[in-house]
Amino acid sequence: MAGTNIKTSKKHHKISFGMAGIYVVLTAWALTTIYPLFWILMNSFKDKKVIRSDSFSLPLGELFTLDNYKTAFDRVNILGAYRNSLVISLSVAAAVILLAGLASYALVRYDFKMKGLLNSMVVAGMMFPAFATIIPVIRMMNVIGLANTNQIPKSLLAVILPQIAGNLSFAIVVLRGYIAGLPVELEEAAYMEGCNIFQLFFKVVMPLCKPSFATIGIFSFLWSYNDLFTQSFFLKTKPEYSVTVLLSLLTSQEGTNYGLMASSVSLIVFPLLIVYLFLQKYIVKGLTAGAVKG
Amino acid sequence: MSSNIYKNKKPVVFFLIPAFAFLAIFLYYPFLQNILNSFRVINNLGSSAKGWNDPWFTNYVELFKDDNIRTALINTLKMIAATIIGQLGIAIVLALMVDNIKKGQKFFRTVYFFPIVIAATALGLLFNIVFLYDKGMLNQLREIFGATKLVDFKDNAHAMLTMMIPVTWQYVGFYFIILITGLNNISDDLYEAATIDGASKWQRVRYISLPLLHNVICTCGVLAVTGALKVFDLPWIMFPKGMPSNSTWLTGTYMYYHAFESHNVDYSSAISVLIVILGVITAKIVNAVFKEKDY
Amino acid sequence: MKKMLAMLLTGAMVFSLAACGNSSSGNAPAQSGASNDSAPAAESPAESEPAAEPSAGPVTLNVTTTYAGEDTNAGNYQDAIAAWQEETGNKINDASASSAETFKARVISDFEMGSEPDVLFYFNGVDSNPFVEAGKVVSIDEIRETYPDYASNMKDGMMGASPVDGKNYSVPVNGYWEGLFVNKSVCEAAGVDIPTADTTWDEFMEICQKVKDAGYTPIAASFAEIPHYWFEFCIYNYLTPATHNILPGSVDDEHGKAWVNGIGDMKVLYEKGFLPENTLSATDGETFQLFIDGKAAFLIDGSWKVGGIESSTDDIDNFTVTYVPGKNDRKSTDIIGGLSSGWYITRKAWDDPEKQKACVDFISYMTSDDMVSKFASVSATALKDGVQVDESQLTSLAVAGLDMVEGATGMAGAVQDQVTQEARVPVFNGMPDIVTGKADIATAVSDLLALVAEGQ
Repeated sequence: MAGTNIKTSKKHHKISFGMAGIYVVLTAWALTTIYPLFWILMNSFKDKKVIRSDSFSLPLGELFTLDNYKTAFDRVNILGAYRNSLVISLSVAAAVILLAGLASYALVRYDFKMKGLLNSMVVAGMMFPAFATIIPVIRMMNVIGLANTNQIPKSLLAVILPQIAGNLSFAIVVLRGYIAGLPVELEEAAYMEGCNIFQLFFKVVMPLCKPSFATIGIFSFLWSYNDLFTQSFFLKTKPEYSVTVLLSLLTSQEGTNYGLMASSVSLIVFPLLIVYLFLQKYIVKGLTAGAVKG
Repeated sequence: MSSNIYKNKKPVVFFLIPAFAFLAIFLYYPFLQNILNSFRVINNLGSSAKGWNDPWFTNYVELFKDDNIRTALINTLKMIAATIIGQLGIAIVLALMVDNIKKGQKFFRTVYFFPIVIAATALGLLFNIVFLYDKGMLNQLREIFGATKLVDFKDNAHAMLTMMIPVTWQYVGFYFIILITGLNNISDDLYEAATIDGASKWQRVRYISLPLLHNVICTCGVLAVTGALKVFDLPWIMFPKGMPSNSTWLTGTYMYYHAFESHNVDYSSAISVLIVILGVITAKIVNAVFKEKDY
Repeated sequence: MKKMLAMLLTGAMVFSLAACGNSSSGNAPAQSGASNDSAPAAESPAESEPAAEPSAGPVTLNVTTTYAGEDTNAGNYQDAIAAWQEETGNKINDASASSAETFKARVISDFEMGSEPDVLFYFNGVDSNPFVEAGKVVSIDEIRETYPDYASNMKDGMMGASPVDGKNYSVPVNGYWEGLFVNKSVCEAAGVDIPTADTTWDEFMEICQKVKDAGYTPIAASFAEIPHYWFEFCIYNYLTPATHNILPGSVDDEHGKAWVNGIGDMKVLYEKGFLPENTLSATDGETFQLFIDGKAAFLIDGSWKVGGIESSTDDIDNFTVTYVPGKNDRKSTDIIGGLSSGWYITRKAWDDPEKQKACVDFISYMTSDDMVSKFASVSATALKDGVQVDESQLTSLAVAGLDMVEGATGMAGAVQDQVTQEARVPVFNGMPDIVTGKADIATAVSDLLALVAEGQ
């Protein structure tokens, strides 16, 4: 190891050999992750006929077409669908952050009899496939009157509730790891200053772990956004559609229309990425603000 | 954990009840139904049972006799090895690297995320075209380098590798994000103090980053083994129905197959019970293994 | 057999894919004045059902169909319901979705929980068994007790009786056929003639050999994923249109032997190397692409593939469809086809006096001669009077399909539709083991039959 640390390299305005190697590796991996997205975007502008036979060339000249997007926008209210998706996924992410945060804090800091069992239950909860649990959930939603009402708020809620539960296990497992890494001394110091246990959580633990909460929030948002399965059982009529449901209905599973598939994926992914890139700072900041207020 | 603050255990209920109430209603109760379903006769997802299996534990006897389950378990074991070594290993290296660079951190954090946001159907199509026999990207490349015979990357000899590479690749970014978040949680003061004491970069990684990351790595280990047990979407699109000749089944794809293709929902329920049991056991093993380590 | 054929041919095929868009706006209002008997059928019930006079005001119907996504009729359907709502003042809550497995699970669970739609367009084969068995849909006979003219423009024998009790529950719109698609340029390059109505199976084998010798793949098929079409025709070759739809009682009876022999022929295809080299590891999408790219000569598939081929190639004239060559008692011109979906009225809606008439009215509207003609696209109908086709609007491939059906001497439904997915496993999923000789054909067939018996 050259032992050149960041500060010295900055001072001398030269990058060490080791550092260059690191950038080469990181860039190589970045290429593998960027290319597929680029490939999809590129093919979304190509005629569906050539996608299987000529998928690696650029959509220039004769190959270029906007047909795939025309089909996607034809007859459908895609803005309404984005709105529904946002409502669902933001609610899920917010609820998961709060509930999983509380639960994992207790699971890490307290010792109690049932702890081992609860930890195993959380891991088990992560393993339940959605299609093994969906039918009883639909039944419950019918009983409490959230399903099949043709009312948008109720239908969205019917998706939000099971999705919160579906993401909780994962979030608890991850947050447990982060919170366990916090030095307990900080909490002790705050306790000495007169904080009660809930203030400890909201004023010490949450701000200290804000990147962790942001991370699970983002994952919960994403999985909720992409979870076609649960959504397709509750969002049945056009005004209720989410983006994922709407676009899945344009490209049926058996379909061979790869052009439409590429444009659908682009319409699902790119707005998300753009919003994420612009709001990255605010996501973390917003979390901190919320934590301080609490 | 032994801190005095947490001796009073009354608040614990308030912390746990909201989350576990959700889990109980929307996961545990439905899964209890699913366990009952594994003893019943059910042909369509959503249709009511046609009665109980005779004898009621038939599906579980079948699990032991089913060759495909054996294949699935062996393949899943390989997949677990691939996820731990491949996904987690690569992710740790990438995360430590990104943590040690000054410029471009945000860029890498964002682009490593891409594979997770793309739907499996699209990735499946891309990889199917890459590995296509006549003539996908790889076979064309081989031709340029003088190969004369096409390689069938989906035949019995290559299938598992062809399946594991995309799946491993897809989730590296996921573990990367979790690990880099853990690294960000580590206070900069610690590194500065170490630097002042004359620690080399490698020493800081070895004696600060890795030990403090220990809990997070353990978490990732649990996520990796449980993830390998339930993964099904990308493998299913590339290798539907255990193709070729029932050699590529994973526990996840086999369960999906029985729920949606063969319309044997009760058997699928039994497989999901098996997966959950295996998941809890392997998670315990991972925890035990990581706890023994003394940094 | 002649009768079946006559029925089929009067209910001839319509290929109006290209015409749909143009005629949709003009046709809807013309419906009441059309020269067929469906319009009176829709209006006459008022006399026999005084309780449901329109004075009850606008009604909201919950409708679920498979007319969504890539279904060629998704657009037609949207136009039709818009026109109906305008005409009647009633409202439709449309919950249509593509017919994926998730959708089927949703429909079945809706029936289980009493939240089924009022009107449903859905499969009439084994997929409909759960709700037919539970008595949750109303039979055509019962509807006709109140509305005698209901579906009177359809042939009762072709409406697609339920596998549960043989009664008609649904009014069909469009059906399907299966045929041999041909890539002409491959045949030309290999120096072989395109099979015709007179080509026998043995001649077809010789053609395949020549195509193979010329360096092409004769048959594009993934025996690993979709052996279904070849299974159907290879078995058909040992049966006739009249007997094809009878499930074997045992592996030793006449039908059982036909199945074993038919699957044996599939094994021969594999052994002779007529299939793609990677037929046991490729997906159906990959083998289909071989056919499109001019690497394979023949493909058996259904009428729905006409649209798939049209949208995959720039040179549609390079493709045609013809009869699958036959042997034994099956003439090459005996085809596979039928009507696999139809309109149902649920018991819940039927028992609701406000909705009953609206349901009947809506289905009568959707199954009028004009409407069915428009929807039928690349498929069969059960219309008594048949339909007129404007061939100039069609691609050459679609015209070839139309000609094929017009020249057919017999038609049978796909026998696999009587076998549940669960029971198909030994033969369909076991196909790679069967053709490579690792599994015994007779054992696989008897395993399948045992699963069929178990399911009943």
